[in-house]
Amino acid sequence: MKNEILKVLIKRVISSLIVLFLLITFIFILLRISPGDPAEKFISPELSPRLAEQVKQSFNLNSPVFDQYRTFITNLFKGDFGISYNYRMPVLSVIMQYLPFTLIFSSISFAFQIGLGFLFALISVQKINGFTDNLFAKMSLVIYAIPSFVTGVFLIYVFSASLNILPSSGLRSFDSGSFSFIQSFFDYAKHLILPLVTLSLGGIAVFYKYLRDNLEETYNKPFVLNLRANGLNERTITLRHVIPNAVGPLIAAAGVELGILFGGALITEVIFALPGMGRLTINAILARDYPLVIGCTFISGILVILTNLAADILKAKIDKRLIKGILN
Amino acid sequence: MKLRIKIWQFIIAICTVVFILRVSEIFYSIELLLKYLKLFFTDVSLAAGQLNFSLLDNFFSTALIILIPFYIYFKKNQGGILNKELNFTAAALLLLLTFFVFAPIVSGTNPDFERDLSVTKLLPPFSKVKILHLAEERKTSSDQLSQFLELKNKVVKRSYNENIIFVDSVQNGNVVTYFQRGRAFHLPAAKVKYAEGKPFVTEKIFLLGTDELGRDIFSRLVYGARVSLFVGLGAVMITMVLGLALGFLAGFFGGWVDSSLSRFTDMLLAFPMIFLVILILALFGNSLVSVIVVLGFSGWMSLFKIVRGEVIAMKDKEYFVTAKMIGLSKYKLLTKEVLPVITASVVVNLVFQYGNVILAEAALSFLGLGTGGSYPSWGQMIETGQSYLTSAWWMIFFPGITLFITLFAANNFGREINTYFNPRIKN
Repeated sequence: MKNEILKVLIKRVISSLIVLFLLITFIFILLRISPGDPAEKFISPELSPRLAEQVKQSFNLNSPVFDQYRTFITNLFKGDFGISYNYRMPVLSVIMQYLPFTLIFSSISFAFQIGLGFLFALISVQKINGFTDNLFAKMSLVIYAIPSFVTGVFLIYVFSASLNILPSSGLRSFDSGSFSFIQSFFDYAKHLILPLVTLSLGGIAVFYKYLRDNLEETYNKPFVLNLRANGLNERTITLRHVIPNAVGPLIAAAGVELGILFGGALITEVIFALPGMGRLTINAILARDYPLVIGCTFISGILVILTNLAADILKAKIDKRLIKGILN
Repeated sequence: MKLRIKIWQFIIAICTVVFILRVSEIFYSIELLLKYLKLFFTDVSLAAGQLNFSLLDNFFSTALIILIPFYIYFKKNQGGILNKELNFTAAALLLLLTFFVFAPIVSGTNPDFERDLSVTKLLPPFSKVKILHLAEERKTSSDQLSQFLELKNKVVKRSYNENIIFVDSVQNGNVVTYFQRGRAFHLPAAKVKYAEGKPFVTEKIFLLGTDELGRDIFSRLVYGARVSLFVGLGAVMITMVLGLALGFLAGFFGGWVDSSLSRFTDMLLAFPMIFLVILILALFGNSLVSVIVVLGFSGWMSLFKIVRGEVIAMKDKEYFVTAKMIGLSKYKLLTKEVLPVITASVVVNLVFQYGNVILAEAALSFLGLGTGGSYPSWGQMIETGQSYLTSAWWMIFFPGITLFITLFAANNFGREINTYFNPRIKN
């Protein structure tokens, strides 16, 4: 059994890697056939023609596309993504400046989404179609429909512009250099409250709706009635039997959601000027920083594969029958 | 007692209200249409040269606003959707449709109209501004074309008008003095239009305020509805064609076609599509068409999964096997056997997709990669409003709330259609 699971997982990882490889190739081709030359930006008219030619050479954009691709792939296998045009640093070290923030920020937001969604769903199913249930259901529909940039701007208006109690952008205060450890912790926390709310609200609504419907469906199944007839108390039924049966499909959805979050919370980062992967990627795209674009895509892709893998493993742990489903 | 309104009553009410509010403009439009027809029959090439989108737009919305109430009134007893009771979703969607179809009549101003920034910029909702009318050089010619052009200038809203000045107050005298933000300007009396011995001054109300360039936010919202709904429509069409075709291919042929397409779909579902969309738009330029195409191509995955699943489930059904045995072509199989069965789930999926596309378009505009062009977009309005957050909340509030209501109504509509097709599923 263990071996079988391992085999399945390895198969999945390999096919995901092939897909990632295809995606990278697709983006590579897109970048090369698009109009415009990123090297032009770094050549001023005062430069002598010979020097200008040298600058162009250093970007390696003049050789045939296929040669460029071959160099790119060989370098990729050596773990070398090239030098970022704008940052003048290896792509990986640029990404390493932005990745930790995204990982931490996304993880906290993800925990909020799952945790609060779960909590509200559990409260909601205590009394199906009761007052709280209906209220939560309506609120989840409303919250789901609010675009995150509207939420973000609204929060800034209320808490930063009008009440002036929370900062509206950035990650640290300008005088944070002199802060002690605890002070800077609170400083970070203060800066992250609004972005976290902005990023998490929609997810909470989605997970809540998903879980609530699953839980309700499971509660109505005959085996729960049987357990009740056998005299088990509600607490045990909920914790031991209903929840494990209801969370199956949620885990896959959560895996995809976490993967997408690791790619960067683009809108939130833009509104609150946070140093995350989303903003790094879009800035790289807008500045035509080809190596950085590909590097960001690659790292996000790897993270997506890892989170989906984790979701698969967790799913198989909870429900052994699912391993057949994953096989296909 | 709860007020119960049927949908047909609501439609007629909207049309009537718009008609009453804009009655003079509608009559001018009709006159213009008659003049144009006359011109058309006397000189076809001249008339064809005058024809452009905004003129056509004006004609169509005028004709429709008169014809639709009658049409609805006579059709109301044929049952169907018109006799349903009005709810929030239907009301919101109908209002949006009104904006979409009747934009030139409803808005009243060109969305890009700018004049006298010092007076009109960043006005709060419901502010009133005085308009000083200047004397127009009236060429009293009996020429058909010039008459037509004069009327056209009156009806078709332009983004500039040199014959009016927005002012705070006006003083009459030997020369007319008008004030703009405390500064006095003088005009020779001959240049000003007079009515009853006084300079002719009217008032304009900016219902939802103005933005940083003095443009009317209400009319921008109305025209923005056109962008949103049109982009949604175009993208959803592309999505529908792609999803149906690929889903049918994968489900019908199975084998390697199916497995490769499914893998490909799974990959696209797992990766954040927004970055790919942004990448393509940033590299190849963003325009109305490219936004529609890219959004259409980025959203077919869930439809593909549904169609594929349904076709695979159908393959073993006896009626499908029989139809195949009779020798129906693949096209016939698709249109006669598959489509009728999957219509329900496809429509539900497409309605939800419509909401997603509208949201995506707004997000792209917010990031500065929207449709561009002359039409304003809600996302772009919110983006601009960010800079004026502390001084002009209305610049963000109204587009934000409109976008929210649109998305909310679209989602609700999807759910309602779902319940309609599958009554046993409880929402």
